[in-house]
Amino acid sequence: MEQSVPVYREQELSDLSLADRAREARKLIIDMAAAPTGCHIGGSLSVIDLLVVAYAKYGHDKNNSVILSKGHAAAALYAALYVYGRLPTNPAESYGRQGSLYTGHPNHKLPGIPFATGSLGHGVAYAAGWALAQRLQGSGGLGIAIGGDGELQEGLIWETAQIVQAQSLTNFIYIIDCNGGQNDGYVDDISPIRHLKERFEAFGFAVREIDGHRHDDIFSAITTDSDKPLAVLARTVKGKGVAALEGNPDAHYAKIPANLARRWKVSLS
Amino acid sequence: MTTTLSGRETYKDELAKLAETEQRIICLEADLGGKNHPFQIRHPNRFLNLGIAELAGVDIAAGLAEAGYVPFISTFAAFAALRAAESVKLSMGYMGKNVKLVAPYGGVSGGWFGTTHHALEDIAVIQSFQNIRIACPHGEEETRRVIREAAASAEPYYIRLSRNDAFESLPRASQRSCRDLLVEERAAPDVWPRLCLISVGEQATELCMKLAEEYDFIVHAHACYVDSQSLKAYVEPLKALADRFLVVEEHRATGGTASYLALLMSEYPVHSHNCGEQWPTYGGTHAEVLADLGFGLEPLRRQIQSLLGGLDGI
Repeated sequence: MEQSVPVYREQELSDLSLADRAREARKLIIDMAAAPTGCHIGGSLSVIDLLVVAYAKYGHDKNNSVILSKGHAAAALYAALYVYGRLPTNPAESYGRQGSLYTGHPNHKLPGIPFATGSLGHGVAYAAGWALAQRLQGSGGLGIAIGGDGELQEGLIWETAQIVQAQSLTNFIYIIDCNGGQNDGYVDDISPIRHLKERFEAFGFAVREIDGHRHDDIFSAITTDSDKPLAVLARTVKGKGVAALEGNPDAHYAKIPANLARRWKVSLS
Repeated sequence: MTTTLSGRETYKDELAKLAETEQRIICLEADLGGKNHPFQIRHPNRFLNLGIAELAGVDIAAGLAEAGYVPFISTFAAFAALRAAESVKLSMGYMGKNVKLVAPYGGVSGGWFGTTHHALEDIAVIQSFQNIRIACPHGEEETRRVIREAAASAEPYYIRLSRNDAFESLPRASQRSCRDLLVEERAAPDVWPRLCLISVGEQATELCMKLAEEYDFIVHAHACYVDSQSLKAYVEPLKALADRFLVVEEHRATGGTASYLALLMSEYPVHSHNCGEQWPTYGGTHAEVLADLGFGLEPLRRQIQSLLGGLDGI
C-alpha cells in the first residue's frame, strides 16, 4: 500500500510538469552557485533530470528510498526535493551559510534525506540495505541509488554490487549519471571505467542505457521488471542546460556572480 | 554440567534466543561467523552472510535499521573498527543509525593469528566517532546482558569480544544495568583503598580480580561500557572509591580508557596498564602475546608496587 509523505506548497506545485520542475530545479541550482560558497554545479545540472524523474515515479511512497550517492551534487538534491514540496524552505536562500542545514553535501537532518552522502559509495550500499529491508518486509518498496560515473572508481561500489547480486536484490535500482567528468578532469583520462555495461551484467544486473536528460526515457527505464537488480547507465552532459558549462570538466564546481546567475536562468526559459 | 561459553559463542547463542521474540532482529555476518551458526539454524530468513564486505555491510545494516530492523553485524574487531571505519563513523556515529557492530578478536585475543587480526586501537577509533556505545563485557553472563541491552536500545553499539576465552562474569544484581560501574565486593570494606583498579575487557578483569583478592588496599571497579558518555557517568562513583586509579585495558595507551578518564578526573592521578607501543609480532596464545607486550599479572603487580612504593605494610 502506498503511503504519503509530507508535501509543502502542494497547490502551488501540483500543476507543474516534469519539464517545469526540472527547469525550476535548474534555476535553484544556479542560484546556489551564486551563493557565497558556490556549489558543485556541473554534476548537479547533469543529474537533475534523473532526480526529478525518480522522485516523480517513486517519491510518493514511503516504502521507496531515493538516495543521491554522488553527494557533491547536493544542490541538485535540495532543488529536486524543493520542487516536489519536500523541503519547507528554499535551499538557495541559505545554501552553505552559517546555521543552515543546506550544507554542501546532503544533510540527513533535512526532511527527505535519510542518509548523509558525500563520501562516495556509501549511498549505494545504504540503498541496497533499504532494498533488502523492503524485501524482508514484503512491502514491494525499492532502494534507488543515483550515483556518478567517477564514483565507480570506489571499491565500495563493487563490494556492494557483489552483495546485491548475491542477495538477488531485484528491488534495487542503481542509476548512474555518466557525465564523463570528475573533480580533476575527465573520467577517461584519470581512471577509465571501461565496458561498464558488461561489468554490471557480469555482476548480475539487468542494464539499460539511456539519454539521461530525456524524461520519458528515464521514466520508462527505471522500472524493475526482471528477475535481476537494475543498473541504468544514463548518458548525461556535465553542466546541462547552461551553454557555458556543458561538457566542460572545469564546471565541476563554480561560484558565480548574481548577474551571471540571472543570465543563465533566463537562458533556461 | 554446563560449559561456560566464550564471548563470541555467547553472542550468537543469545542473539538467536532474543530473535525468538524480537522479530526485528537481523543477524549479518561478513563470512567470519563460522559454520553451524545458531542464528542461521534457528532463523534462516533473518540471517545473512554478506560475504567479505565489511564497509558495505555496515552501510547495508544502516539501511535495514532505517526501515525499522535491529541489525547485528559481526566481524573481527580489526575489520569492524578499522576497515569499516568510515561506514561506522558516518552511519553509526554521525547519523546514529541503530546498528549493532559485534567485534570478536578484540585486542590480541587472536593470539598466533598475528597483527593483521589484532585490534589494539579499536576503542580509540570508535570512541572518537562519538554517539556509539562501546561495551567490553567480561564473561558469559555479562556478554548476554550486553547483547540484550543492545537489542533493547535504539543507540548504535560497538561490542568488543575476545576469541575463545571463556570466563564467568562478576556477579551483578539483576536489576542493575551493565552501564553501571561494577565494584567488586571487598572483604574489608572499612579500609580506605590506596588504589582503585579499573578493568576494561576480559583479560584485564581477570587480572584485577586476582590482585583485588590478594591486597585489601586495592578496590576493583569493572567498567563494561567505555564510550565517552559512560565514562563521564563513572566519574563520581569512582571518586567515592579511592584517590588514585590504575586502568587495566588490553589496548594502546593512545585513546584508551585511561587517557579519557585522566581528562575527566584531572585532579586525580590516573595511570594505565596497557599493551604499550610495540607491534605484537610474535605468535603464541592470547596470554603469551599479551605477555610479550608487557601486559599481565606480574607486570601489573610490579607497576602497582612502583606506584605505591611497595606492596607491604599497608
